[in-house]
Amino acid sequence: MIENVLHDLGGVGIFGIVSICLFFAFFSGMLLWAARLKKPYLNSMRDLPLDGGESTSHAGCEKISHLETRHE
Amino acid sequence: MTESSKLQGPPGGNPQIDTFKYDNGIVRAFAIATVVWGLVGMSAGLLIAVELFFPGANLNLQFITFGRLRPVHTNAVIFAFVGNGMFMGIYYSLQRLCKARLFSDFLSWFHFWGWQAIIVSAAVTLPLGFTTSKEYAELEWPIKIALAVVWVVFTINLLGTILKRRERHMYVAIWFYIATALTVAVLHVTNSMTMPAGWFKSYSMYAGVQDALVQWWYGHNAVAFFLTTPYLGLMYYFLPKAANRPIFSYRLSIIHFWALIFVYIWAGPHHLLYTALPDWTQSLGMVFSLMLIAPSWGGMLNGLLTLRGAWDKVRQDPVLKFMVVAVTAYGMATLEGPALAIKSVNSLSHYTDWTIAHVHTGALGWNGFLTFSVLYYLFPRLYNTKLWSTKLANYHFWIALLGMMFYVIPMYVAGVTEGLMWKQFTHDGFLQYPNFLETVVQILPMYRLRAVGGSLYFVGAVLMAFNLYRTARSGQFVPETEAQAAPLSKKAPVREEGPHWIHRWLEAKPLTFTVLSVGAVLVGGLVEIIPMYLIKQNVPTIASVKPYTPLEVLGRDIYIREGCLACHSQMVRPFRSETERYGEYSKAGEFVYDHPFLWGSKRIGPDLHRVGGKYPDAWHYNHLENPRSTSPGSIMPNYPWLLSQKLDTTSLPARIKALRRVGVPYPEGFENGPAQKDLEAQAAKVVQDLKTGLVTAPPDREIIAVIAYLQRLGTDIKAAPAAAPATPTVPLK
Repeated sequence: MIENVLHDLGGVGIFGIVSICLFFAFFSGMLLWAARLKKPYLNSMRDLPLDGGESTSHAGCEKISHLETRHE
Repeated sequence: MTESSKLQGPPGGNPQIDTFKYDNGIVRAFAIATVVWGLVGMSAGLLIAVELFFPGANLNLQFITFGRLRPVHTNAVIFAFVGNGMFMGIYYSLQRLCKARLFSDFLSWFHFWGWQAIIVSAAVTLPLGFTTSKEYAELEWPIKIALAVVWVVFTINLLGTILKRRERHMYVAIWFYIATALTVAVLHVTNSMTMPAGWFKSYSMYAGVQDALVQWWYGHNAVAFFLTTPYLGLMYYFLPKAANRPIFSYRLSIIHFWALIFVYIWAGPHHLLYTALPDWTQSLGMVFSLMLIAPSWGGMLNGLLTLRGAWDKVRQDPVLKFMVVAVTAYGMATLEGPALAIKSVNSLSHYTDWTIAHVHTGALGWNGFLTFSVLYYLFPRLYNTKLWSTKLANYHFWIALLGMMFYVIPMYVAGVTEGLMWKQFTHDGFLQYPNFLETVVQILPMYRLRAVGGSLYFVGAVLMAFNLYRTARSGQFVPETEAQAAPLSKKAPVREEGPHWIHRWLEAKPLTFTVLSVGAVLVGGLVEIIPMYLIKQNVPTIASVKPYTPLEVLGRDIYIREGCLACHSQMVRPFRSETERYGEYSKAGEFVYDHPFLWGSKRIGPDLHRVGGKYPDAWHYNHLENPRSTSPGSIMPNYPWLLSQKLDTTSLPARIKALRRVGVPYPEGFENGPAQKDLEAQAAKVVQDLKTGLVTAPPDREIIAVIAYLQRLGTDIKAAPAAAPATPTVPLK
């Protein structure tokens, strides 16, 4: 049904090339960007789950703390 | 919502500290549902595994045949077990990463009960044969709509919680959750475009090749964005928590996220290599599949390297043990997946049990083990106690690991054996194994071993359920956990110098982030799917291909109801080994009236695309009544109910109308009388043909329609092309 209302574009081969170009542009930009991120920022981000306010003072290894705190 | 008091902070510190409570009740509810549905899904899997070497295991009951139960198994383990597991982990970690209670308690519980209702609906309707036949999207349209509503509720709850967070920056786990919520919504809506023909019957809006591409764009990305991205989010949260050390490289996690969501969406066509799909789409799918190794292994290494210096903990802590195997299985499955997407490898592996082994490395290893680890992590915390028995958890670990090995290794052996036997020629140039059954009988020992593996895995899960139950009994449930954090400043984040500012700004802006990540996800799908509609040469038309007759339409619907495509493909690939065995290879133009496409993905039995006219009608009758009467050693179940159940023709007009609406050129008014007459005439002819084979059957039974459909399969291109009128006035064959 849908294809009946659409029409011929032509030039099938170009889609593969466009796709690869899109991929490399995106991936190169992302790598460059990630490589230039600053260490202090990265360290603060990777600590987020650990300083999420949850105390690790559980009973034995796994008791929950009733007061989870964090101060920005 | 029970956001509570605001306290004055210490002098010189934050002027105000919020005290609030995390909701543990919703986490517990999803956790219990995970365990219960996990056991149900595994039981269904075990039963169909047994049916493959003991076909009488369905006790001649139509509701529990392999064809009908297989989607019950896949839906139960994907959407019920992993789905509930995902929501359990997301709702626990999201609150803590956002320093906020979930956006709305009402939405949380609506989400929970809505999701369970959908699962129950699936468990009822699929055995009854109400199915669209599209893999992992089998549910009929009313349930699909309900699913969309519940998913929107989940997304609102997720984004609402993120918007009211007290932590400025969004940890990478939350990115994965956002990508999951948005992408699954897009996939579900796009693939669910169907035309209803009654409350529990619909036809896909797409036909043939387009339907196949959309379906596997969905199917592949259901694996990506339902089974992978949310669980990667859980890995990035729970692995550091369990190991009590931060993730190895946050930089790597950023690359992992963006590369994964961008690349994954392009890889869907690797499910359709060497089919009638245009070659450029197949090549694109293969290349992007190979690229997927990079982000996937980046993520796996990031997870495993987080444990450097903490491997002593892995020896003692079952939570970490399960996580290590889960992350390793993720790495193995994501190495194997791209390898299977290489066309030459795929020519051997596709339609064989190799795919089943691959899938279960991911499902049992990655999803199963990660779910188990999160459950073992959460229950003691939710119940403020210790795990009841670490020893029992260790037993579970080893039994499940052994079970997984006993499952996947026989399936690899079976897969390679099948693939090689199907392609083997004699020195004289004939097929070495021309009878498909020879290749089935050969791998039956592997099917038996697989059931042993599945049983072990199931036993392990039962031990876990018992352990978690005793853990809950030994503690006291903590419905809410109090926490404190300073509220976010209303001021916009200060713009800093340097390129890293862009990212800090981006992930502090959840809505902008969401739009960009969805854009990254969609680009691949759009580049692949839109040309399939816009470019007519992708699906060359064949003049002699005509719509199905009314009797064949009903027969095809019974074929769908019985889940025949779970075992039989309808796609002869352009290999000599296939054209010798089955006949002319399948062309894209042959499927233009196939709503939905029924190419299948596994050959437990032979391909059926060229079965039309291959055997007399009486052969099909006897074969469906008892497959072993015509094919000794067959593992196909008996279908005696097809011989006794009356064909329901009352829904025929609605079905014809629905098919016309999706583009099948039935003339206006055809459904009001002519269709019924056409059906009766063709049924009488089938009955007459049966008599020549010494079979007497009434014309109004379901088997007559099934035979009519099977005899039509793949025959259109054998007919001489007629001069096609501009407007088809007599569309039927």
